[in-house]
Amino acid sequence: MVLEFFRGGADSQLEEIEGLIIQMLLDCRHTFDLAINALIGGTDPASVGKQISKTDVGINRAERKVRKELVVHASVHGPRADLPMVLSSMSIVKDAERIGDYVKNIWDIADTGVDLSSAPDIELLRRYRDTTSVFIGKAARVFKERDVAAAHAMIQEFDEVQDEYDAGVRRQLDSEGSPTDAVARALLFRYLKRIDAHLMNLLTSLVMPVHRLDFYDEKKADRV
Amino acid sequence: MDSHPDTTRHRPAIPNWARVLLVVALLYLFLAGVKGLETGIKVLGSGFTDSLFDGVSNPLAGLFVGVLGTVLVQSSSVTTATIVGLVGAGTLTVESAVPMVMGANIGTTVTNTLASLGYLRRSTEFRRAFAGATMHDFFNMLSVAVLLPLEIATRFLSRSATWLASTLRDSATVDFTEPDSPIKAAVKAPISWIERLLEQFTTDEGIVGTVLLIAGLIMIFVALAYITRNMRRLVLGRIERSLNAALSRGGGLPAMVLGMVITVTVQSSSITTSVLIPLIAAGVLSLRNAFPVTLGANVGTTITALLASLATDGNAGLAIALAHMLFNLIGIAIWYPIPRLRRLPVLLAERLARLAEVRKSLVLIYVVGLFILVPVIGVLTLR
Repeated sequence: MVLEFFRGGADSQLEEIEGLIIQMLLDCRHTFDLAINALIGGTDPASVGKQISKTDVGINRAERKVRKELVVHASVHGPRADLPMVLSSMSIVKDAERIGDYVKNIWDIADTGVDLSSAPDIELLRRYRDTTSVFIGKAARVFKERDVAAAHAMIQEFDEVQDEYDAGVRRQLDSEGSPTDAVARALLFRYLKRIDAHLMNLLTSLVMPVHRLDFYDEKKADRV
Repeated sequence: MDSHPDTTRHRPAIPNWARVLLVVALLYLFLAGVKGLETGIKVLGSGFTDSLFDGVSNPLAGLFVGVLGTVLVQSSSVTTATIVGLVGAGTLTVESAVPMVMGANIGTTVTNTLASLGYLRRSTEFRRAFAGATMHDFFNMLSVAVLLPLEIATRFLSRSATWLASTLRDSATVDFTEPDSPIKAAVKAPISWIERLLEQFTTDEGIVGTVLLIAGLIMIFVALAYITRNMRRLVLGRIERSLNAALSRGGGLPAMVLGMVITVTVQSSSITTSVLIPLIAAGVLSLRNAFPVTLGANVGTTITALLASLATDGNAGLAIALAHMLFNLIGIAIWYPIPRLRRLPVLLAERLARLAEVRKSLVLIYVVGLFILVPVIGVLTLR
């Protein structure tokens, strides 16, 4: 730790904190791909369960590390600390961690024995899988590059996809298929919606003031 | 994450190279200040200074003067640099100055104790923060409780420091204690110039001496304040990075070295210990891991007196600076290696913090009592 003092580097650790959040997102994408394929891709859930669980523990650990480092930043820099950044990071690191939790929940559905790999609407499910996986990766890139224009475009896309997930949940209420299938689908659509919503929270930190984080869907005019 | 629009006005940032140059200039000002103080006292003559420091030959009075002086200027560095100047001028003996530097060690803890009061409204955070601040108090008080009677009885600290100063002088290739050493010649020049200038206006040695003494004190105070401010800006990122490493790797000897390095760099143990308070309050840094950082800060702060001794004539200035360092190192040697003893300052601080959490009035009694009332009464009655 003494050597850390003499090592050259940035004047603040906030960039490293951002890096940790981006890594959490990339880990989430990896585990999402594993979990969703256990549900709709025919992968044996048991073969990926340990890896998902281990990565989730790492994501949780990263969340605690980010929080600690934010407290250190605020303590060391005092009134000169980048408070908006500290506050928004404290909020969005929770979003990244929650994505990890929903990924685990998707794997839990597969682990109960549900297999949607031969469902009649498999193409639709695969589209949702690909969309979400790409969203996570793209959100990590946009966040890293602080690309405000791309963040606006992604938020627009999220709005449309979320409506589809809500419609998907409603369809299960009228479904005449097996209850297990309907519950699994309703949960899956719900989890996909929540993952997207947390990604949206994360991206809104680029385009909205700190006090309006998490309230992106109330006033679209605030996203400027 | 984009930076949010900032509506506050900022002064243009000073580049790092300019800050480094500024710190070098401030160090020069600091040494010139010590020289000014020493010269002023010499000009005032022995009659004046003898009457001023008549009472502090009593070690307890010296201890309380050290506490009170440090509390008033909120910096043990200023107090110890002044003591070095006084010892260098021959106004104080090393023996009578040793209790003063011990007092400065206790007085300096008031800053982080005051920092912990910011959490007064939130019980749990306050308990942790107050314990974090007062473990430093308890360590220093316990060290004084052991070492001051020992010093009074045997003079072991002042003798060891004097011997060490002579040994260092004998073995040094460049003797900084000689009056014509390059550093002394450089810091003496502006003081001689001010002295000559004053003598053109008045021949009254009392006035010349007083002006030099006051100017010296102001120079020490201003230089240390701005050195700390600039060095803090220069190394904020490094402090943040190393504290992050400390959080993930725990305490122990590396944490102690870290506390020392940060304090030497920013020239203020209060900065180091006060940075720890919010971390302790938030619960991200445990008391046990923060404790060695605090002890390192205690040792690191002794660098100021050593620097100050470069500007003084003879061996005595260096001897008292070394006595300050020895006091802190011996304190660590007594209280740190044995786990049971190491836990004692932390346990006492935790106990006091638990009481203070329940009875907030105790905080006021503790702060005012320890840092103001007891020293004032002590100085008044023991002089």
